[in-house]
Amino acid sequence: MLRYTVKRLLQLAVALLGLTLLLFAWFKALPGGPENQLLPENATDQQREALRAALGLDEPLWVQYGDFVGRAVRLDFGSSLSSGRPIATELADRLPATIELSLAAMLIAVGVGIPLGYLAAKRRGSWLDFSAVSGSLLGTCIPIFFLAAMLKVVFAQELGWLPTTFRLSAGSTYTEVTGLRVLDGVITGEFDIAWDAVLHLVLPAIALSSIPLAVIVRITRASVLDVVGEDYVRTADAKGLKPSVVRGRHVMRNAMLPIATIIGLLLGSLFAGAVLTESVFSFGGIGSFVYQATTERDYPALMGFILVIAVFYVVINLLVDLSYGLLDPRVRVRS
Amino acid sequence: MTTARIEKLDRLIEASVSAREAQTGSLLRQSFRRLKGSPMAVTGGVIVGLFVVVAVLGPLIAPYDPTAQTWGKEVFLNRNIFPGPRAENWFGLDHLGRDMFSRMIVGARQTLLVGVVATLIGFLAGAVIGGVAAASGTFGGRWGERVEAVIMRTVDVALAIPMLLLALSVAALLGPSLSTVMIAVGVAQIPIFARLLRGSMLAQAHSDYVLAAISLGVPKGRIVVSHILPNSLGPVIVQATLVLATAIIEAAALSYLGLGNPDPGSPEWGTMLADAQRFLSGAPQLAIYPAVGIIVTALGFTLLGEAMRESLDPRLRRQE
Repeated sequence: MLRYTVKRLLQLAVALLGLTLLLFAWFKALPGGPENQLLPENATDQQREALRAALGLDEPLWVQYGDFVGRAVRLDFGSSLSSGRPIATELADRLPATIELSLAAMLIAVGVGIPLGYLAAKRRGSWLDFSAVSGSLLGTCIPIFFLAAMLKVVFAQELGWLPTTFRLSAGSTYTEVTGLRVLDGVITGEFDIAWDAVLHLVLPAIALSSIPLAVIVRITRASVLDVVGEDYVRTADAKGLKPSVVRGRHVMRNAMLPIATIIGLLLGSLFAGAVLTESVFSFGGIGSFVYQATTERDYPALMGFILVIAVFYVVINLLVDLSYGLLDPRVRVRS
Repeated sequence: MTTARIEKLDRLIEASVSAREAQTGSLLRQSFRRLKGSPMAVTGGVIVGLFVVVAVLGPLIAPYDPTAQTWGKEVFLNRNIFPGPRAENWFGLDHLGRDMFSRMIVGARQTLLVGVVATLIGFLAGAVIGGVAAASGTFGGRWGERVEAVIMRTVDVALAIPMLLLALSVAALLGPSLSTVMIAVGVAQIPIFARLLRGSMLAQAHSDYVLAAISLGVPKGRIVVSHILPNSLGPVIVQATLVLATAIIEAAALSYLGLGNPDPGSPEWGTMLADAQRFLSGAPQLAIYPAVGIIVTALGFTLLGEAMRESLDPRLRRQE
């Protein structure tokens, strides 16, 4: 297990190094460099040169790259070209909102998706199975920003059941601990704040959960169908084990492997989907930051963001791979 | 080796394979037979067929010019008043007094174009990258293995960047327009196709007919191009069908983020949907028509792709 972990960590380091190289090449190829962004159109060539020198753009490429990696390791992505604040600070300020939203969406997707997928597989061919499968096909086909906007119009604006925008009601005072406001409210005992934050989370989280929910339902269904056909499940049933024991120990434990993989992969894409959802609900996470960075060609900001998200993604996948060892004894033996 | 001899060898190999297939019909024919019996495939096929017909005929069957602001005087933008469905405009008018029904019909063509072009970009570039990786890894000796390792690690890294972000980066590179959207969505698909084709080709590379071809002395390049490649395309084509659905949805998302052309000369559903977000509370129908169009079309491609995947699945094939 230890050797396996070390090997995976080394692979992770190589992948991240490759990513920095790819990102660096990518952003070097972008037109309209920062000197055109920061200077007026009638700037003289001397002014341009001076700025390039100040930003380190006149160094050889490999020096710039080494510099970039060196600073990235220290979480120093430079300053945002549009706001002038350090990018790491900008991201740190906004990341909790996006993490809270993504976790809430994943909670819905896992909490609803796995039982639903299990039931669909158990009652294969029933109306429940049919609606779960067709519902999940439909779920992947709805543009997420449209779903978010419709939820907002119907449940927030027309029916008035839930708040339309932001993470808390206007004028509420709140003590920040972790930045995850539901958690903070519970920690500090401000339960009204926690509840308010939950209400603000409901609609965006439902919208964001649509795709992962659809995927998890289908994977769970397929995976459970694979497992219930196995001999050991029939044996377990035949020797008179309680259905709940067979379900927990024989079926779900074995069916969880592909589901765990997919959940890991989905978490990474959730951060991207959050860009769209957040902009509909003005949620104040990294979504709006990325959108602004894209439209204003704020390269350092985009670069820092993609790097952070990629690290998240790669680390999550590593955790998923390592969790195989816990879920599946065969992996432990083999490694 | 002379060409004539190579062709003879090819025929020999094919003959040995088709002798076995003669009893059951070829894989393709079998798959097609199963497809015809699957309600999923038929539903998907009908939706996709209808969509393509509308896309091709578009301007011919649309009752009005989709860009003419014929009823501009009946629309009150500031008060959010847009005439809804009525006898002369079945779907009502949009925010500039244009006939929504005509725009939906004509818009199908651009929507199909965005999906197809984006998928083709991803498919072709991905196929070249994945194909080169698999071919050099299988037949290129030690250097080939290194080439493959470098290519595939790069692809892995690209896969680690979420698709929408990859598309955003491309869009940032090219500035907002409809072709930006196509290229951005297409480029984001490249790593997926590369991975898939490589995996599929590696699986074929260890099969008996490839071994037969090698032992008969068929040149390596020819084995790759005329034996391994055609037999590896199945899963990739299935993926392309599924990606068409994703491409249409992703394109709409990019338009929503302001990276598409705000109001192109010819209408496109994704752009229409993105534009309509502004009027969502007053005139939700402006968003619902293109949204339903996109959802139904994406569903059609997804159903067709899933049904094709099932029909190609060897585990299901044996059950017949």
